[in-house]
Amino acid sequence: MSENKTSPLLVIGAGIAGVTAALEAAEMGSEVVLVEESPSIGGRVLRINNYFPKLCPPSCGMEINTRRLERNPRIRVLTSSKITAAEKIGAGWKVTITTAPAYVTAACTACGDCEAACETTVPDPHNLGLCTVKAIRLPHLNAWPKRYVFDREAVGDAEAKRIAEACPVNAVDPSAVATSVTIEVGAVVVATGWRPYPIENLEELGGGRIDDVIANVHMERLASANGPTGGKILCPSSGQPPKRVAFVQCAGSRDVNHLNYCSGICCLASLKQATYVKEQLPEAEVTMYYIDRRTPGRNEDFLLKVAALDGVKLVKGKVGRIERNGGSVKLHVEDVENVRLIEAEADLVVLATGMVPNAVDDDLAIFTRKDDEGFVLDDLSSAVTVAGVARRPEDVAASVRDATGAAARAVIAAGGRS
Amino acid sequence: MASIPIVESTDLRAEFFERGGENAAKCYQCATCSSVCELAPADAPFPRRQILLAQWGLFDQLMGDPAVWLCHQCNDCSVRCPRDVAPGDIMASLRAMVVEKLAFPGALGSLVGNVRKTWPLLVLGPILFWAALIGITTGFGEVETHHGLQPGPTMGQYFYDALVPHSLIYAVNFAAVGFVCLVLLVSGSRFWKMMGDRQTRRGSFVGSLIGVVTDIALHRKFASCERGVPSRRWGHFMVMWGFVGAAVASGFAVVFLYADTPPFSWFFALPFFEDIGYPVPITHWNKWLANISAVLLVVGGIMLFANRLKKGDKLVGQTTAFDRFFLWLVLSVIATGVLTEFSRYLVADPSVGFAVYVIHLGVVLSLFLTLPYSKFAHIFYRSLAMVHQRMTST
Repeated sequence: MSENKTSPLLVIGAGIAGVTAALEAAEMGSEVVLVEESPSIGGRVLRINNYFPKLCPPSCGMEINTRRLERNPRIRVLTSSKITAAEKIGAGWKVTITTAPAYVTAACTACGDCEAACETTVPDPHNLGLCTVKAIRLPHLNAWPKRYVFDREAVGDAEAKRIAEACPVNAVDPSAVATSVTIEVGAVVVATGWRPYPIENLEELGGGRIDDVIANVHMERLASANGPTGGKILCPSSGQPPKRVAFVQCAGSRDVNHLNYCSGICCLASLKQATYVKEQLPEAEVTMYYIDRRTPGRNEDFLLKVAALDGVKLVKGKVGRIERNGGSVKLHVEDVENVRLIEAEADLVVLATGMVPNAVDDDLAIFTRKDDEGFVLDDLSSAVTVAGVARRPEDVAASVRDATGAAARAVIAAGGRS
Repeated sequence: MASIPIVESTDLRAEFFERGGENAAKCYQCATCSSVCELAPADAPFPRRQILLAQWGLFDQLMGDPAVWLCHQCNDCSVRCPRDVAPGDIMASLRAMVVEKLAFPGALGSLVGNVRKTWPLLVLGPILFWAALIGITTGFGEVETHHGLQPGPTMGQYFYDALVPHSLIYAVNFAAVGFVCLVLLVSGSRFWKMMGDRQTRRGSFVGSLIGVVTDIALHRKFASCERGVPSRRWGHFMVMWGFVGAAVASGFAVVFLYADTPPFSWFFALPFFEDIGYPVPITHWNKWLANISAVLLVVGGIMLFANRLKKGDKLVGQTTAFDRFFLWLVLSVIATGVLTEFSRYLVADPSVGFAVYVIHLGVVLSLFLTLPYSKFAHIFYRSLAMVHQRMTST
């Protein structure tokens, strides 16, 4: 690196990949601007109950990262912010970052008085809409920054005024406006992550049509102690624990009509969720319907361990149709190994849906190099590197490794290469 | 030790791919197709397994597999297939392969199987045959009709038996039908035995046959599987019943011709069957039956044809040379048949009607002769497979 002042690095997205990339770059000596669209950092991993295969909660890993963030003066974090314009300037980029109105300012002490004064409820984004929360609230237990968010559009002016008056430190400003800043950066790390494939698109599998057909991401919330059920796995329709749980693999994946690729994590996620069920409900029957059991490398051991559990069954065959059948759900599938059509009954069906890259519909110049599915490709000649699921579907461990590599490439790109 | 299947012939597989089965290679055996099929029996689901056998080139195993025929190609599977394999099309291509493999004599099977190249021979051959036959016998000159009736408004302006005596039609068509029955007996018994070797039949043949005929008459299988293309179901329904109606009307016409001879004269004593002589006026009920059948054939034929024009629709599927030949042949029979009748009433110059009539006789003969080897063979193999299925599931 030259003695000249180098431009800072821009990291877009503060999920596990973005945070890791920002930390690694900063710890290598770069100035970093970390931009996150949500009010708090952590992204998708904080919505996961446990990681596979070690079955530990993601919050501890994020806690360590948060501590590293807090201690590192080279990182500037902008939450509730997104890149609204990007222009190639010399070897780097000129970007405009727009920050949503700060209805709750940094003065917030998270005391909760505003929440008590608020009557309006909204679907809880952290719990994927499985429950409701107050329009002003802490995004979730481990939110960083620990500051309340205010869904200003959801409440009327009178209520907003009452909420503002309830704040003992005057941190609520219902008339705040959006702000924006334009900066020059030497390189960009794209870590925009993913969103779950919508189960509403899987109508033939009951997605969005049958209450007891949920997605794998919902299962994580049901199993989480800070989730909508306090960590109890319950059927949405009845509120009762399920006796039979079915996992439907490749729900909308490896499918030309939906996502034409394998997300590579859903088999392991379902196996992991099978352990959630068996731990809470030892009597429950768990069946996983699959095309191929894709558990590469050491994860094969995890597969064998879960498959050996009492009451866990793996059936080769993709579920083609799911319909309501009285109080339960009926699945139509061919048991390929026995060449038989089965009509299986279940109380709770988990669709193992894949990952959609968030960049798929983002048309900023930074994202111009994308593959057919919307995954972003490294473009070192434009000083753009990509980390985590923005680049390809992968698990948390791979995202973290990926982020280190992306950070290193970005540092090199920002320093200028001969 | 598990036995390892051997690819029986890579040539056959290449041939299968060439005849519309190419997408079978894309299948990754997820079995979505079998699970969405409304017709697949629970203990022998299709089409996933059949696609696997096709990938391996094991057509010998597919020859005696009733599943190939139980499929009515509603294409629900093709719509849902995650790899765009179009299992419905694969099954159709398999049927074409199996028809050729079961054919007796094999050479004729290959001749029609290669219809993409051989179709001119298959169509023009029978037409030229008729032209030659007429040239030799009546020399295209008008012959005395044996009833000596005069043309009139309900009779048409001329009679076709003035060109082609009925005896000639019997001689050719009865011979053709006899040939078809003979070869179907050979291929059918092979097919029947192969199915029996795989699965023991228990139920009664006659009882099952009655059930199958009812299913076919009402198009019950079509009804249970058809979701997206009702025009295919109703088009097929009309064409089938149109042909049945036309066959019955032709049968009655022959009876009317010969019932005045002693052993059959009791016939004219039946109600509605009084001797009206020949030719039969267009107002007679048997003509009504024939003309209603013609309307069914025309409307159904147009529906089936229009359906095939919807290219790229997964519910319609692909159209191979095998499909195209049969469809065009059926449409030609319908079109020339209707035009033959119209000409007699509307075109004063008999040579127009006679020309159309010769073509009509030719395409009808082509339809008969190719029946055991063309897509028309489905009428036979599918019915047998359906009977077999009933006998094994009772």
